[in-house]
Amino acid sequence: MLMSTLSSRARRAGVLLLSASAIAVFATTVSTQKPRFYPDDPIAREPESQDASKAAAYDESQMYELVRNLFVTSKYKPSGLRAKNLNTIDEVPDSSWFTNRIGSKPISAEELSRGPNVGRPPDPSKWTLIREKIGGAHPGFTAKDATGETWFIEFDPPYYREAATAAVVMATKIFWALGYNQVESYITTFDPKNTTIDPKASVRRPNGKRTPFTRDDMNAVLETAARNPDGSYRVIAGRLLPGKILGGYLYAGTRPDDPNDLVPHEHRRELRALRVFGAWTNLTDLKDANSLDTLVTENGKTLVKHYLQDVGSTFGMCNDLHEWDLSYEYFLESGPSWKRFFTLGFGLSPWQTVDYKEYPAVGKYEGKVFDPREWKPQTPTTAYMELRDDDAFWAAQRVAAFTDDDIRTVVRTGQIGDEAAAKYLADVLIQRRDTIKRIYLTGVNPIVNPRLETGGLTFENAAVAAGVAKEPTSYRASWMRFDNNTGTTTPISETTSTSTTIAAPRDLPSSGFVAVDVAADSAEHASWKVPVRAYFRQDGGAWKLVGFERLPEKAAGTNIETAKGTR
Amino acid sequence: MFCAALMMAATSVAAAAQTAPPTPTPDKTDPASSQPPANPPPQGAPPESREAAIEQKQAEKVPELHPYIPNKAEQIFNYADTILQGGQLRVHPFFNSAYSGGGFTLGAGYLAYLTGYNYIDTRGSWTFKNYKRIETEFVAPRLFDRRGKLSVLGGWREATQVGFYGLGTNTSKDARTNYLFQQPYASALLTLFPTRGVLMLQGGAELSQWTQKPSDTAPSVETVFTPGTLPGLGAKVTYLHTQGTVGIDWRTSPGYSRRGGFYGVTFHDYHDGDDQFGFQMLSYEAIQHVPILREAWVLSFHARVETAMEKNNQQTPFFMLPALGGGSSLRGYTSWRFRDQNSLLLQAEWRIMVNRYFDTAFFYDAGKVAARASDLDLNGLKDNFGFGVRFHGPFSTPLRVEIARSHEATSFIFSSSAAF
Repeated sequence: MLMSTLSSRARRAGVLLLSASAIAVFATTVSTQKPRFYPDDPIAREPESQDASKAAAYDESQMYELVRNLFVTSKYKPSGLRAKNLNTIDEVPDSSWFTNRIGSKPISAEELSRGPNVGRPPDPSKWTLIREKIGGAHPGFTAKDATGETWFIEFDPPYYREAATAAVVMATKIFWALGYNQVESYITTFDPKNTTIDPKASVRRPNGKRTPFTRDDMNAVLETAARNPDGSYRVIAGRLLPGKILGGYLYAGTRPDDPNDLVPHEHRRELRALRVFGAWTNLTDLKDANSLDTLVTENGKTLVKHYLQDVGSTFGMCNDLHEWDLSYEYFLESGPSWKRFFTLGFGLSPWQTVDYKEYPAVGKYEGKVFDPREWKPQTPTTAYMELRDDDAFWAAQRVAAFTDDDIRTVVRTGQIGDEAAAKYLADVLIQRRDTIKRIYLTGVNPIVNPRLETGGLTFENAAVAAGVAKEPTSYRASWMRFDNNTGTTTPISETTSTSTTIAAPRDLPSSGFVAVDVAADSAEHASWKVPVRAYFRQDGGAWKLVGFERLPEKAAGTNIETAKGTR
Repeated sequence: MFCAALMMAATSVAAAAQTAPPTPTPDKTDPASSQPPANPPPQGAPPESREAAIEQKQAEKVPELHPYIPNKAEQIFNYADTILQGGQLRVHPFFNSAYSGGGFTLGAGYLAYLTGYNYIDTRGSWTFKNYKRIETEFVAPRLFDRRGKLSVLGGWREATQVGFYGLGTNTSKDARTNYLFQQPYASALLTLFPTRGVLMLQGGAELSQWTQKPSDTAPSVETVFTPGTLPGLGAKVTYLHTQGTVGIDWRTSPGYSRRGGFYGVTFHDYHDGDDQFGFQMLSYEAIQHVPILREAWVLSFHARVETAMEKNNQQTPFFMLPALGGGSSLRGYTSWRFRDQNSLLLQAEWRIMVNRYFDTAFFYDAGKVAARASDLDLNGLKDNFGFGVRFHGPFSTPLRVEIARSHEATSFIFSSSAAF
């Protein structure tokens, strides 16, 4: 049954690929002569040419976002379209959103430990409170350290001693390594005895008015935080971002006031991929308000920079010790609700039986029954709904790029005092990483890094290389000439191989472009029969990869949901 | 109610989403296939590089730039946010009836902050049985470094057809008589959590005047009883009511909780300046929530004993006696169905969490009233069972709808508070 489904899926995808190619050829022939590949393809960075200084601050209503995501976005039908911010070789170029790091280049343990932190840490010898903390699940303040620099301070709740602060630091390192802009965050201390309140500091009261910040306001926050035996508090301090704060970005559409923001955010692969990265780290609070756009001037240009901030709702951290359903259900979801209603709760939901080994420093985080396809944030985003198999594959490659040592390095930055808890957390991250590899690296044709050289076409099989699949019995390559002006292809011949090097045909042209479709015959993975297509261009006597397509432009039926049960 | 509000809001969001797409700016690019530059080529000229192609699209967007425009639904939410965050929510609904048994209640209140946290709430309600209440409450929620809360309340209420069936458990439902009472009241209640933990102390005083009158709804109580057979009949009593409570409370909130409990005892002294109807009362209460299957089920138990005690040979008026019946005690019986010097109430609920905002519950209530406290045993209990749904938030239950069945009646309950 499973094979039948997958075979059918593979055939359907193959037909779609051919149809899409035909349509592309047709469109190219009758409309324009625009080349498929430009001389600078593939680009490594999204250009941002225009001045964005007119971008204005806006904060979306969190209640509106909650309602919209629960009742509208959750019913959103994915377009099935390929992500639109990719370069021609199916990769995400660097941008104001994303920087290729792990999986694209080596990241040292030192770099991973440092993460986004480039400045000096806060000086906690004296804190001056200037404002209450706005947003977030855990208690905190806005304060200046002894040097006068502004920081956002957040405490551990008493029931998650060390966990909340550790989660922020560790998640910050992980998401930085994954490529996202992150806030500089440091674990430090807060001692009320060495704390003063700025005379101008104020707090918004229930009557809506701001009045002076008092010692009692500070105590009210401290009473909800985990206190050290010496009366001080362990805190996480996040550095104030440079530039003008514009508010969170949306996971759909574009900024209408940013000329450089052209790709609808739901079609940005790095935002879609948060479904995979979120599942790995259990980033449940995946909402617009936990992102931040800032207006910065770089190299003389004013640009909007996009941050994924407040990544502390990870590794089982949540608003309340008793939130068991997080990561299994949206805040409000009709299916499980009706099930519990009609079965009087006898129809158990998965979160009711998951065996958590809870440490105060970790929370509800496990790897045994974890299935990334079933993972859910508190509310869905449009980008989350748009994830395709090729996006998931891309994300899984980055998750897979974290070695066991990398993960342990990240966990060490959390400064968790309980060694058993730290080990458990690292083990779960490793376990969840392996599950993601097993599911997403095998879900589509996993051929990567194709190179056309004198010896033929050489590539790697990411799933095999990751140790989550057996070598296929053979690889098949269909060679074509490719006309870059018309987009037409002319078959040359087919070659096969049992290894990851396939001989090129003798009559391979010595100039221009060639395209090659590469499929794999695997008894276990029917989806590998759907070929990937690579385009090469003669460039100074060598073939340069200029194009790569893992899945067709419109991949109806290949949405990640259909792959459930193949674990 | 919260869920209903969410549904309504969702409808407007969905409608807005259909009329106003979330993308104010059209998709301008697909770097991998269309695009077009830093030094954009002259208008109309094809770009010669991918970078140029993209930059051309970016240049084309410049004339179309505009600030983000929220759709209508979002504007409504923004307005609501402004009101809520700004403390400007002045007018609010108020569903508390003047007295239990008043039936469906309509009401509203107006809240005004005096300081950052202290406020005055003036509110009124009316029921289809013509029960009326109007009152003003001053609340100071953060006294003594947030260890205390003070409520000062003044108001007037009238209940037009309160039921009285005679004393004891073995009265007939057909023996119902009705009475009316009016009551102006002024009270102060101070609640303290001295350790900011589970220990709760409460003390207060109230000055009020109860005027019991015949009801317009027949049969009125005086047509069946006389002042000789029913203490307090036709009385007009002015009480100085003082009370004190000691308890431990580790529920998440009295308004909604899936775990924790409350155990407390309250002493009341009703002093009648005429030394005619003074009495004392002790109330013991225990609530325990037992979460099962990670709070998807909760077994909730409630026990309450109330004992009215004679004071200096004075009489306890019939309308002040402990009572059972109604939406928060024996739910399958009408309000005030059973009265006597002592009462025992036992309630158990099997609560099922459907989702974060909606619970269902099966419940069983039992209880009795008795002239002597020693008769408050488990023999001869009046009982009922039922099923209900509750719309709730993390700390409150704005709507509770239940159906309860006893051997006497089937009752429908609409309430804006938790059962217990």
